[in-house]
Amino acid sequence: MMPSREVRQESNVGWVRIALTLIVAILLKQIPWQGWWLIMRPDFVLIGVLFWALHRPSRMGMTVAFLLGLLSDFQDGVVFGQHASAYVLGVYAVQYFRLRFLQFDALQQSAQMLPILILVQFVVLVAGWLSTRPPLGINILLPALSGVVVWYLLALIPQALHGKKATRQ
Amino acid sequence: MPMPGQLMFARGLSPTSRLIFWLVISFSLAFMDVRLGALDMLRAGISGALQPVQRVVLIPFDVAGEVSGFLMRHREMQLERDRLLDERTRLNQALFASRDLQRANTELSSLLGLARSYTHATVAANILYQGQDWFSRRITIDRGTSSGLRAGLPVVDAQGLVGQLTRVFPGSSEVTLINNTDQLTPVFIQRTGQRVLASGSNGTDQLELKFMPTHGDIKPGDILLTSGLDKVYPPGLPVATVIRVTRPDSSPYARVECVPVAGVNRDRILLVIPVPATSPKP
Repeated sequence: MMPSREVRQESNVGWVRIALTLIVAILLKQIPWQGWWLIMRPDFVLIGVLFWALHRPSRMGMTVAFLLGLLSDFQDGVVFGQHASAYVLGVYAVQYFRLRFLQFDALQQSAQMLPILILVQFVVLVAGWLSTRPPLGINILLPALSGVVVWYLLALIPQALHGKKATRQ
Repeated sequence: MPMPGQLMFARGLSPTSRLIFWLVISFSLAFMDVRLGALDMLRAGISGALQPVQRVVLIPFDVAGEVSGFLMRHREMQLERDRLLDERTRLNQALFASRDLQRANTELSSLLGLARSYTHATVAANILYQGQDWFSRRITIDRGTSSGLRAGLPVVDAQGLVGQLTRVFPGSSEVTLINNTDQLTPVFIQRTGQRVLASGSNGTDQLELKFMPTHGDIKPGDILLTSGLDKVYPPGLPVATVIRVTRPDSSPYARVECVPVAGVNRDRILLVIPVPATSPKP
């Protein structure tokens, strides 16, 4: 059987597009955020990782997620492994619910992302708590909420490209 | 645990085994980092790779600052100039008084045979960014070992003590703020001279005093200065102002809340004081 048009297309443009979005995500995290903006800042790299784990699972696996997690650990100046373990778990959760997610439109999809984003923040919380000290507050769950908003905006793009529902690969 | 849509006879590890593999790696990394402190090389490597990115990202913000500064209204500039002139007059008076005191102090010190305090040749640094860390209060500045900095040095702004360098890379370093939990600062109360320990309080941006007896002489408005007992901070740097004192019946110690004098969360430019190398690591 010949590979479908979609598969060949993916092999051509996949890497460039993924790398560009992830670089933008890293730059967004590097901006000098302050005060409440910093507390509410969604984890752009995490959103990028989960988005590509959903739409290009062959490209975005746990290895890349782990390495980007180490980068996030450095950017936030925290213990190595804190974000890395959380990102890997997030990718696992997205892979598990992947077929289900792809059947929803952007709004439903982002609503279903909330538990996964909260799970990731929870892993960050537990890992940091075990390795250093109790957290400074429960603000740690706020980036999950802002992350859902970013996910909704991001999920509108494949929806606009592929019709009402995102295509299943 | 099989996954929906997973191939039954796929080559390679199943997603669950891969998950467990990476989680084990993560936790061993965290262990090596916290308990053995073995990952400083990795941090320094990532720091070097990210440094150009950190500089480039700041450029638009600097340009925006320049533009908005240029467009600032003339009247505001005049007001600010008047305010600064006024402040300069008052500072000049204070300076003359201080020179007189310094001269008297030098004479007295030489009479007593005390060592001269060193002069502060400070290193100016810009704040690069602040990480989203839920467990400690830190900022990253754009100077590092290449500017002669090392871990343990005190960091100040125009108002007072900001914090202490904890991780130093070639081109950047991390400052742990004085209101970080567990960050201890030996201080004395300016009004009474009593020496106490200030520490960051968990959950707020404030500081609190450790082991201040209930009957101790302290009241809101008192100013805390570094005592210099730890040989880390030079003596006499303003640290915090007391805002509230409560004396609970259940505890032998008073609960003293203070706010940092320095603009810990507002500054853009900081100064690092390279004190002599006797300071212990944080």
